[in-house]
Amino acid sequence: MMDRQLLNGSWLPPGSLLPGQGSLLLAQDSSQQSGWLERLPEAMQGVAASIWLPLVGALLLMLLLAWVCRIPISYNVRNLTVRWVTTLMTAVAFTAVIGLQTVMLAFVNGMYRLTDSSGKPDNVMILSEGATDEAVSNLGFSDIGDIENQAGVLRENGRPLCSRETYLVVNQMIEQQQDRRTKRRFLQLRGVDDPVVSALVHRLELYDGGSWFSPAGVRELPGSNQAAVEAVLGEGVASELGRGRSPEQLAAARNRQRLDVGDLFELGDRRWVVVGVVQSSGSTFDSEIWAKRSVVGPMFGKEAFTSLVLRTPDAGTAQQVEDYFNNQYEKAAVQAMVETEYFANLASTNQQFLYAVLFVAVVMAFGGVCGVMNTMFAAISQRIKDIGVLRILGYRRLQILVSFLLESLVIALLGGLLGCALGWLADGWTATSVVSSGRGGGGKFVVLEMDVTADTIAVGLLLALGMGLIGGLLPALSAMRLRPLDALR
Amino acid sequence: MTFLLLIVKNLTRNKIRSVVTALSTMVLVFVCTLVWSILAFLDSVTAEQSQNLKAIVTERWQLPSQMPFAYASSLSEGAASDPDDVQPEDAMTWQFYGGSLDPKNRTRDNSLFAFGLEPDKLLTMMDELDELPPERKAELAAVVDKMRGNRQALIVGRNRLAAINKQVGERIKLFGLNYREIDLEFEIVGVFPEGRYDNAAAFDREYLLAALDAWPATHNGRPHPLAEKTLNLVWLRVPDMQAFTQVDQQIEESPLYASPSVKCETASSGRASFLEAYRDLIWGMRWLLGPAILVTLALVIANAISISVRERRTEFAVLKVLGFRSHHVLLLVLGEALLLGVTAGLLSAGLTYYFVNNVAGGIPFPIAFFQAFYIPLDALGWGAGIGVLTALLGSALPAWSARSVSVSDVFAKVA
Repeated sequence: MMDRQLLNGSWLPPGSLLPGQGSLLLAQDSSQQSGWLERLPEAMQGVAASIWLPLVGALLLMLLLAWVCRIPISYNVRNLTVRWVTTLMTAVAFTAVIGLQTVMLAFVNGMYRLTDSSGKPDNVMILSEGATDEAVSNLGFSDIGDIENQAGVLRENGRPLCSRETYLVVNQMIEQQQDRRTKRRFLQLRGVDDPVVSALVHRLELYDGGSWFSPAGVRELPGSNQAAVEAVLGEGVASELGRGRSPEQLAAARNRQRLDVGDLFELGDRRWVVVGVVQSSGSTFDSEIWAKRSVVGPMFGKEAFTSLVLRTPDAGTAQQVEDYFNNQYEKAAVQAMVETEYFANLASTNQQFLYAVLFVAVVMAFGGVCGVMNTMFAAISQRIKDIGVLRILGYRRLQILVSFLLESLVIALLGGLLGCALGWLADGWTATSVVSSGRGGGGKFVVLEMDVTADTIAVGLLLALGMGLIGGLLPALSAMRLRPLDALR
Repeated sequence: MTFLLLIVKNLTRNKIRSVVTALSTMVLVFVCTLVWSILAFLDSVTAEQSQNLKAIVTERWQLPSQMPFAYASSLSEGAASDPDDVQPEDAMTWQFYGGSLDPKNRTRDNSLFAFGLEPDKLLTMMDELDELPPERKAELAAVVDKMRGNRQALIVGRNRLAAINKQVGERIKLFGLNYREIDLEFEIVGVFPEGRYDNAAAFDREYLLAALDAWPATHNGRPHPLAEKTLNLVWLRVPDMQAFTQVDQQIEESPLYASPSVKCETASSGRASFLEAYRDLIWGMRWLLGPAILVTLALVIANAISISVRERRTEFAVLKVLGFRSHHVLLLVLGEALLLGVTAGLLSAGLTYYFVNNVAGGIPFPIAFFQAFYIPLDALGWGAGIGVLTALLGSALPAWSARSVSVSDVFAKVA
């Protein structure tokens, strides 16, 4: 069991480490989860930080203008409903633009959440010096013992909480059901020495019914004398591996959504048996297969450790440990980085996708603007006489402007709301992607969960209102400028 | 001709509406052209060829592939050992070397990844470079000539050259990233033709091999940790699928490649495996983004045309009185939409083709190992096609409604 002295001492924040039965697991840290909004360039962060403020402000302004200007709202509503086909078509164009934008942002959000959730601020990752990624890192066997016994590393029962890992990207040959051709996919395999300690370091927990692999890392399959490699799967990769099953396999499967404990799969000319599935942590570990390092290392020709992950008591100590290994440690050529830094570096692809999404959203928004502009110009040309009557009845130019502007804003808001609602359906969908630092030499193939946040909805509505405002302003200005007698002529 | 003039005249009657609709068409065709250019390129590089195809030999299980250089010679011959065995028509080896200009502060901008290869193969085996038009091929051949006489010669892509702020003729020292403590000095002798290799670099593989050979002399006789893992890829050119199957079998069955074992696959199949990780993204681009653009555009056109039809009911009634048949009215409305859509679509695609390829230097959307995408000439057809399709979709109902205008109804209301 845990070293109580350490647990209850000043080393550890209270409640952060909970003793369990056999495997010790920790509360997930959700505080560091954030969305794509915070990743925008500085110039846009003012809007990003308080995205709800401009939205609520815009809605309040609409209501205020309607009230202060005493707009004949029933007249506007009637016009919208009488020309319902045009109103509907314009609104649906908004729906398409905003819905698509919501889905695309949900994807980017999922990627950011993934890279943000993957690192722990109190973990320090040790790679060989110069390695741009753990996939290309090689640590010497002789250096490991010394590194994990340095000061600052948290200990459990006198043992350092250090995850010794060999990270591999391996090919899995898959036979296509359709054309019987063999294709391959990349799987991420993490060989660890002691899965319980590694789970403690990374704060991972298994679903009920599963277990970590045995010290041997292999087991005999029941009813045969064949040995299978024991594997613990992340939930994402379990779903991915479960996709390629034949109808017969699916019919016999205990879990149709993903592979589960007891299921078999082929990898590297060997049979593998699933002994546990890691509970989804929203991290890159969801996309990994874990197995005994001493089994998978020789199997795939990579026997050296690629990385060591040291758990320290807190983020401050982790920073000190990182500095120590980078500046003072001389026994081995290594580089250290706090785990959150490592995963933050993998966000380069996220940023690239974010910019692409924003570009597409803005360009498509132009299409929506054109749509509403046509509608409003047509509405005005059909209602020139109405405008003349309103002016003669005493309505001022500003009231005419606000009246038409509100009409276009309402169309935009309706379309935007519908688009957000449709986009929301994408919340929770899983998608495959790659996260990388963009510096070459690595990257991770991940299964991510798309995430429609309140901010995403707010941005969608704000964009819709922006489109409505820009598209409605010119027609409304032209309506405002009409002279009453000219309009009635 | 008169009919066409009537269509043009009708479009110029409400200039604002026509311009706004044309602008939205152009903008949406622009996005569609970008998206489809990426998809078309990915489709083309993953489509299996039947003739003159390339194969890739890599380590069977692990990524990145790291094989001993001892494999290079026999793999380049397709592991042919019997007289009846098939030999590839050409072959090329790749060794990846990554280095940074600053040993202490390694950043994306001061780092460079280069292929170690036989310089002559730049002309015959590198994708796209082996199909350059004669003029550009001659320029590349001149650079390759310089590389033949200078083992430290380096050819760099223009974007990478700009990123590291160097020019042709300058010398640079790269501090090894993947090959620890193997630092190489290069002379930049040329630039890759614009395109796929804008961010890449290449040098003579002999330079890296010599550095690896010299390593033990300064390290107590111990070889470099990557000395036996320096061969990353072997490219083979085979005449057809039958030859590929034979070479694949020769390699798979050869006892020479046991540890690590290797695999042979067509280049398109290899690329498809890398793109598998992006399959949902590509699916989204193909089946969500593309259709959403088309739907939005069709709605914008439908909106504009239906407004126009509603405003011109009297006019259509007059036309019918003057002898126009229902299908004339239908064609008139469809023609207006089609002319607007095709013109705007074609113009947009043409401008996109010119600006993306000649001004922007491609679409900067690095996925897998593709850094930028270019607009194919086919895009002009797509632009016109999108214009036709969305115009037809958008104007079909309004045109039908215009066709159905009843003269008596309209004049009864007027009266």
